[in-house]
Amino acid sequence: MAVWSERLAGVRGVLLDISGVLLDCGAGGGVPIPGSVEAVARLKQSQLKVRFCTNESQRSRGKLVGLLQQLGFDISEAEVTSPAPAACQILKERGLRPHLLIHDEIHSEFDKIDTSNPNCVVIADAADAFSYKNMNKAFQVLMELENPVLISLGKGRYYKETSGLMLDVGAYVKALEYACGIEAEVVGKPSPEFFKSALEVMGVEAHQAIMIGDDIVGDVGGAQRCGMRALLVRTGKFRPSDEHHPEVKADGYVDNLAEAVDLLLQHLDK
Amino acid sequence: MAARRALKAVLVDLNGTLHIEDAAVPGAQEALKRLRDSSVVVRFVTNTTKESKQDLLERLKKLEFDISEDEIFTSLTAARSLVEQKQVRPMLLVDDRALPDFKGIHTNDPNAVVIGLAPEHFHYQILNQAFRLLLDGAPLIAIHKARYYKRKDGLALGPGPFVTALEYATDTKAIVVGKPEKTFFLEALRGTGCEPEEAAMIGDDCRDDVGGAQNVGMLGILVKTGKYRAADEEKINPSPYLTCESFPHAVDYILKHLL
Repeated sequence: MAVWSERLAGVRGVLLDISGVLLDCGAGGGVPIPGSVEAVARLKQSQLKVRFCTNESQRSRGKLVGLLQQLGFDISEAEVTSPAPAACQILKERGLRPHLLIHDEIHSEFDKIDTSNPNCVVIADAADAFSYKNMNKAFQVLMELENPVLISLGKGRYYKETSGLMLDVGAYVKALEYACGIEAEVVGKPSPEFFKSALEVMGVEAHQAIMIGDDIVGDVGGAQRCGMRALLVRTGKFRPSDEHHPEVKADGYVDNLAEAVDLLLQHLDK
Repeated sequence: MAARRALKAVLVDLNGTLHIEDAAVPGAQEALKRLRDSSVVVRFVTNTTKESKQDLLERLKKLEFDISEDEIFTSLTAARSLVEQKQVRPMLLVDDRALPDFKGIHTNDPNAVVIGLAPEHFHYQILNQAFRLLLDGAPLIAIHKARYYKRKDGLALGPGPFVTALEYATDTKAIVVGKPEKTFFLEALRGTGCEPEEAAMIGDDCRDDVGGAQNVGMLGILVKTGKYRAADEEKINPSPYLTCESFPHAVDYILKHLL
């Protein structure tokens, strides 16, 4: 396909989504998506710069990287842009003390944050902790604030686990937005600041970067709005209807990360 | 109101109009009798997500209202009608007390979701089941979409936020069946043989009762009892056909001017 050489011309940096691209999470950790371990290794041996950009907020960055290493991936914590550290920075800058509606696993990321007498709510992928009671508590905190601030780590609709598709934090963010008549501030994909911070660390301009993800809106649409190119993989949460999305069209659709890396390496600027 | 046809049916809201919690509106029982003695058909309509018809009826009987079960039309009835019409097997995310209204409906191997106010069912795993059904194309039927309600211990989330969550996750829209939806009023009239232009609605909620009814072509009569607050009648455009002190006054007006 000659067209690929045009679509991939001038790419110097690659941003990789994690869940649904590298692995499918599930009970007991997760399973690598076939070919992805080798694909990451090949990418890293090339002249392309590589960074991982995830909305994962059910596990701490350390736990997630540990799991990936166990599965054979060549990845370190310093190579991962994830929303919890970004949120902590915002909380500190703005003097916000959050009520946390988050998964037990990531409480450690908020260790150094003052959570007394909360003046905002931080919501992340809390999974089973999204009970009526916990949602109601967050709702009551917001309703008592004169200026309700809701910060969400990502706004995904759903993600894929080995057992099937799972409701993501975005659904619960929408519930609180509707109940309180407010709009959440999103930290993570598809927020432009989040992509930009990942690009900055890589030292690559948006037009020289390409995002590879399984979320047509959050990964592909978000990256394109920042001036990046983006490929959608047919793994993870991918559904055939994503290729006919009414608003977002990827720069390419590939079966999996392995195919994406094949194409990238094949069309590398020599 | 020139070319109106003679009034043939009257829809009456329950809580806030005939009674307020466990007390009847003064003179309401007697007024209802007078209305029944006239030529109009009377139906009782209410938004409820947890009280079955049987529960409502028992309360009304205690308050000495002469009402029979088949005259009551609730948002739960509307949901049931829709389920029957669509011939689907719903996953019922409703309060256990509402289950009698779905007696006889097949719920095994569900291919639809009915959602009301059911805090005890709003766990992640259960909502996730509902989410997966919706992704497979099951319709989402919402009893109503209230944002929150008042509980003794403060404000509490209503069904609306959870309906919205499922709508967002699946990129679909729920079919809302309660007041002020048009279909609610039309379904309540079905079986009376009357057209909306031949019917009036009496209620204490300006938007949901009066506005909703007027949107389908009925006359809307607002009563100043229950949740009514001063200047409520200015909340809708066109404004209510009539605003009265209470249900007995509304009945007097109907008997005098609309028959």
